[in-house]
Amino acid sequence: MHLHDIHVMNWGFVSDRNVFRDSGQLITGLFLPQMASVLVPVAYIIIVFGSLFIFSYFYRKQAASRIPEPYFTSHPERNTYVTLLQKTDPPTPEVILKSALVRRAIADVLRVMRIREDKPALQNLVQKGSVGDDLLNSLLAAEKEMEAEIIEVMNEANSFVEGWGPIIFPTANEMIANEKMRAIFEQTGDRRTELERRYGRKAQNTPNIAPITVTMTPSNSVPRAAPQANEQTVENAATSDAESQSKSGKKRK
Amino acid sequence: MSHSHSHAPGESHSHSHGPPQPQPLPTADPALLAVIEADFRPISVIVAADNTTLLCEPHKQEKCPTCNLDYVHLNRLSKILAQNPNLKAPPPGNVISKNLSQAVNNTKEEGNAFYKMHKHKEALGRYTMAASIAVQRPPWESNQLMREELSTVLSNRSASYFESEDYISALADAETVIAIRRNWSKGHFRKARSLVGLGKLDEAVEALQVGLAFEPNNAELGAYLEDIQKMSKEGQQS
Repeated sequence: MHLHDIHVMNWGFVSDRNVFRDSGQLITGLFLPQMASVLVPVAYIIIVFGSLFIFSYFYRKQAASRIPEPYFTSHPERNTYVTLLQKTDPPTPEVILKSALVRRAIADVLRVMRIREDKPALQNLVQKGSVGDDLLNSLLAAEKEMEAEIIEVMNEANSFVEGWGPIIFPTANEMIANEKMRAIFEQTGDRRTELERRYGRKAQNTPNIAPITVTMTPSNSVPRAAPQANEQTVENAATSDAESQSKSGKKRK
Repeated sequence: MSHSHSHAPGESHSHSHGPPQPQPLPTADPALLAVIEADFRPISVIVAADNTTLLCEPHKQEKCPTCNLDYVHLNRLSKILAQNPNLKAPPPGNVISKNLSQAVNNTKEEGNAFYKMHKHKEALGRYTMAASIAVQRPPWESNQLMREELSTVLSNRSASYFESEDYISALADAETVIAIRRNWSKGHFRKARSLVGLGKLDEAVEALQVGLAFEPNNAELGAYLEDIQKMSKEGQQS
């Protein structure tokens, strides 16, 4: 047994080099002896890059077919418009359909503005590597969808009145600004109470005329008047009556 | 000629009838249209009996927090359209209603007259009326007009409050003016004045500096700034 061990050890030590030489001869023996030294690295390169290309091809196909997450949640104005359009008993009056279309245009304009604001910021973040590009893909997909949506809205507008299509989006812009100003004005009362709280003083002479939220309908101004009805409220209602009647007569100047 | 068309999801169609349109609009990419159609969720809404208002289906309300729906603006617009049947669609922004501007101007002038006579209660009433008329402008008109009218009226109202020593209301109005028309020096001026009335000289200085950032060479603001700084120095010395 003792002798065997030594024998085995010797055999193991010597055979390493022998094994190398044997396997090398095995591989090169497959090819022609003259081209052996060139083909081996070439074959290696082909195998490695080939597998890389095949993998990337399949990966890109898979990545392209993955649908990005929607950037915006559902579009309520669009849903309202289509719902109204689909009503057939009784069919919705045209004034409501037109108003719903204008609201849809307004929502689209707001979305486009948001996309335009978010895009460079998001591109910056993705460039710096802070965020994965899933969000950017969602944004780009949403951008494309908005283009189709805008064309769709313009076509719908044209279907109501010839030539309305190109006008509806500038109209939407104006309405957005108008609504913003109105909201600011109507919040003046809240701002006043907030300032009262902040500076610890009370305002005097608060105007007793409640903001009129519905235009040109005389009956609506009265219910919204403040409880302390004084001559100012009545005057206001009377004047707005007169104004509304004369306004509706001479609207299109 | 009115027409109603039902539009089932999945269909895209171009509308052309009668005389040909001068400039045919492009039709959208059908793949994207399909995405839009797929996104559709019907909303439960009903038309009220007066045929001009939308209400939410279960609660019959214009503005329903439970359904998360707000039809106030839509109904306002449809009421305007219903009351003007010759108005087929909101016209472009340069079509304005002249007598609205006149009404606002007249009421404002009346307010100014009261202001000069130091009858501030009446002046305030006039100014508030002018403001509510100005706000009733049809929303599709160029917003520059409403911006100017409203800011002028509110600025005068702020001055009137200041004269009646109601500095809080003056400040509220001045802040509204600034929110509507940021680069107008008068708004910042009024805010600074009301803050001085409240005794907050530092905040007044800040307000004037903000105003000067918008209009660097404004003489009025600059002069007032110097006045305040003089006042605060005197206050510190005494």
